[in-house]
Amino acid sequence: MTIMKIENKNILSINNLCIDFKAESSSVRVVNRLSFNLIKGTTLGIVGESGSGKSVTALSIMRLLQEAIYAGEINLHIDGTTHSILKLNNKQMRSFRGNRIAMIFQEPMTSLNPSMRCGRQIEEALQLHLGLTKTKARRQTLRLLEEVRLPHPEKIYKAYPHEISGGQKQRVMIAMAISCNPDILIADEPTTALDVTVQKDILELLLDLQKKHGISIIFITHDLGVVAKIAHHIVVMYKGEKVEEGDVKTVFTQPQHPYTKGLLACRVPLEKRLKILPTIRQILESKDHHFEEKIITQSEWKSESNKILSSNPILEVTDLTKKYPLPKKIFQPRDYFYALDNISFQLYEGETLGLVGESGCGKTTLGRSILRLIETQNGRIIYQGKNISTLSSRQMRSLRKDLQIIFQDPYASLNPRYMVGEAIMEPMKLHKIGKSDQERKEKVMELLQRVDLEEKHFYHYPHEFSGGQRQRISIARALALQPKIIVCDESVSALDVSVQAQILNLLNKLKDEFKLTYLFISHDLSVVKFMSHRIMVMKNGKIVELNTADDLYTHPQTAYTQQLINSIPLIKFS
Amino acid sequence: MVRFIVKRIGYGLLVMWGVFTVVFILFAVLPVDSAIMTLGQRSDISTEEAVKKDLGLHLPLGIRYINFCNDFSPISFHNAINEESNFYLDKDKYHATTLFHFGKESVCVAKTPYLGRSYQSKRPVLEMLNEAFPKTALLALISIFIAIAIGIVIGILCAVWKDTWFDKLAITFSVMGMALPSFFAAILFAWVFAFLLADYTGLNMFGNLYTVSNFGEGEYLDLKNLILPAVTLGIRPAATVIQLMRNSVLEVMSQNYVKTAFAKGLSFFHVVRKHVVKNALNPVVTAISGWLAGMMAGAVYVEYIFDYKGVGVMIVNGLEKYDFPVVMGSLLYISIILITINIIVDIIYSYLDPKAKIQ
Repeated sequence: MTIMKIENKNILSINNLCIDFKAESSSVRVVNRLSFNLIKGTTLGIVGESGSGKSVTALSIMRLLQEAIYAGEINLHIDGTTHSILKLNNKQMRSFRGNRIAMIFQEPMTSLNPSMRCGRQIEEALQLHLGLTKTKARRQTLRLLEEVRLPHPEKIYKAYPHEISGGQKQRVMIAMAISCNPDILIADEPTTALDVTVQKDILELLLDLQKKHGISIIFITHDLGVVAKIAHHIVVMYKGEKVEEGDVKTVFTQPQHPYTKGLLACRVPLEKRLKILPTIRQILESKDHHFEEKIITQSEWKSESNKILSSNPILEVTDLTKKYPLPKKIFQPRDYFYALDNISFQLYEGETLGLVGESGCGKTTLGRSILRLIETQNGRIIYQGKNISTLSSRQMRSLRKDLQIIFQDPYASLNPRYMVGEAIMEPMKLHKIGKSDQERKEKVMELLQRVDLEEKHFYHYPHEFSGGQRQRISIARALALQPKIIVCDESVSALDVSVQAQILNLLNKLKDEFKLTYLFISHDLSVVKFMSHRIMVMKNGKIVELNTADDLYTHPQTAYTQQLINSIPLIKFS
Repeated sequence: MVRFIVKRIGYGLLVMWGVFTVVFILFAVLPVDSAIMTLGQRSDISTEEAVKKDLGLHLPLGIRYINFCNDFSPISFHNAINEESNFYLDKDKYHATTLFHFGKESVCVAKTPYLGRSYQSKRPVLEMLNEAFPKTALLALISIFIAIAIGIVIGILCAVWKDTWFDKLAITFSVMGMALPSFFAAILFAWVFAFLLADYTGLNMFGNLYTVSNFGEGEYLDLKNLILPAVTLGIRPAATVIQLMRNSVLEVMSQNYVKTAFAKGLSFFHVVRKHVVKNALNPVVTAISGWLAGMMAGAVYVEYIFDYKGVGVMIVNGLEKYDFPVVMGSLLYISIILITINIIVDIIYSYLDPKAKIQ
């Protein structure tokens, strides 16, 4: 009797699933002997870093992988019968997709067809699976758009995807996914590309929909905070295998596997300030899988901050403004979009000044403007007592070596046809650092070691490196010019948590070694808080708040900062 | 949408004016004496003077430019009474309808643009163009139609059946088609289909759109003469479109929104038809509009080899004989057509890619 009950409770069970991808001659195993159950009406979180096989698992449930070789079983228990997903023919599989199992993808920006109106894209599934007529499908679509809490459903119905925001697109995706009342909803990193405040709303929406329709959800993410908020059970995946499984509270409070421990430990903590962040490798390699924490107390940090802030500012920005003209309306004066609106702040020598804000707030524009990579209309930038905002581009060039930038995307910021060594040497030649190529080469070798790469990497090309290693190369390239100030523009945002911790540690180490000053830009408040002495919060091109890091977090002065802090997903169990 | 179209037309007119001015300057500075070209080598000075006067060559450049504009513009200003005036409304030149009078002698008229007369045949250039252009346009449209029909269908099939024998065969043929020079293809086709196999195909080596009846019953439309030139002209665009469409479809198939479409449970055929093709057409439309525009200007080799009397042949003949009005007129005529095609293509774009409308 009890056995029957358990069988009925599971809506999806995966047994010994193996997935191989065909390569040239052999095949590559991406998921190995994976088993788990999804209980009806609950949410299962699958957690792991990139390459752990979590997205592949999700796609295999929908059987959307091309050229994959499956072994094992995926069983769907609905309507009192069991369907073996891997044994269905294509036509049967299609009748499940979008109907009984639906999916939301990571990139809302690219997951909607750009040349089809949003409403039409939802209607398609309705007409296909429920056989609704056009008018009925339309009415149902409008109702769905309202259900996912989109303002003006009529407008969204007629809009093309590029006309609405990222959060709205993800809502349209959700409306599409729930349109046929699916039994299972698979959400593959649905909030990763969104701002924290939007993420919070989307998660709440998913929870409400689950309560209302009893949908069972598989939620895939790399973000432990998010999964703690939404999931009942979690599966932790590492290199294609399940390393830990259990209900969410147990896994988070009593992790068993060293990898899970590492994953939890290397998150940047908000409530305390560590001197060095632990990395997963350290935890996996240490004997008892434990990491000795060194905490910097608030008073220690404060006295260090005060020392830095009492010196003269190295960079002073006053009334910086950047505006873009909007399309002119007839008979009306031209309107402008203010990317930067009268920005003023000071940066002190040896400081790390954090800059947070949501996408489109102007933080990247600000970072690039102070390096004069973007020309501004108004205001002054004074670097070491010299107004650099009026310098000609020739005069500016000699100053460029003092001001460097590390970009977000480690894949796009290195020229694929340059050897790593050449890429780092190129700016050195330009600024006549080092007397001969031989001397420069030795210097580059040294730099590579300083950023924890090896000398032999000098002769390698960017595609041979991982994201984290590429970011190290970018850092070495910036350091080659012996800069005073480095702007880190979302430099760790594209990286996995464990790699992120390594790069943050490296940046802190280098800051002391090279006497650097950072402007640290990120959308992630916890990372910014870990790095910075002071934090600026930007919104709509304006600085809404500027305070020391700890004070800003504990006593936010504006409602917007408060909202940002509240939106950070925390691992908290009552 | 209306604003977008009006704006595009505005740009078109501006470009037209630019082309027009450049053409004028080019021909004004060329060291060729048009009067002698009109008369031929043997002529006396007084006749030459008379012709110069008739062509307005004795006037200063500025006035000639104004006259040139006046000739070309559909709405123009003239002196209606004084025959000696530089802007005299010559009934021989213009088919004009008076809009309104102003001043003592001046008049504003609406007219068909006047592109001058051929030095050789003395016929109005516009008349010659109106005769030649429809033939070229028909040829161009048919060959583009062949290219689109073959190219898009085979391109999609290649992408869908990627790496199969069909794909490989089609790509091989497409590479060959792209490498084949049109004059060579024209000769080859004419020889094979209209000479060796003439008994089976019934095609002619040469031939115009209209054939003069052997029985003295005037001209009749002979569409079969279009087949060989159109196919010859269509080969290269078709080959290009196959590859463009194949790559474009493959790229779109790898997009996230196609994954979304499959996740909805749509069939493969439905996904390709509703989600892939429209998004994949963009590069193809660009390529086709380029080809079409080029062909509208006359496919010189192919028209020459098949003796098809279109705009291409007309321009070449004009150039050979320094028949400037013909060349100038043809250039202006062609540029109007190119600009019009571009506007139409932009409108098609805004349908295919809603984002294009904003820019």
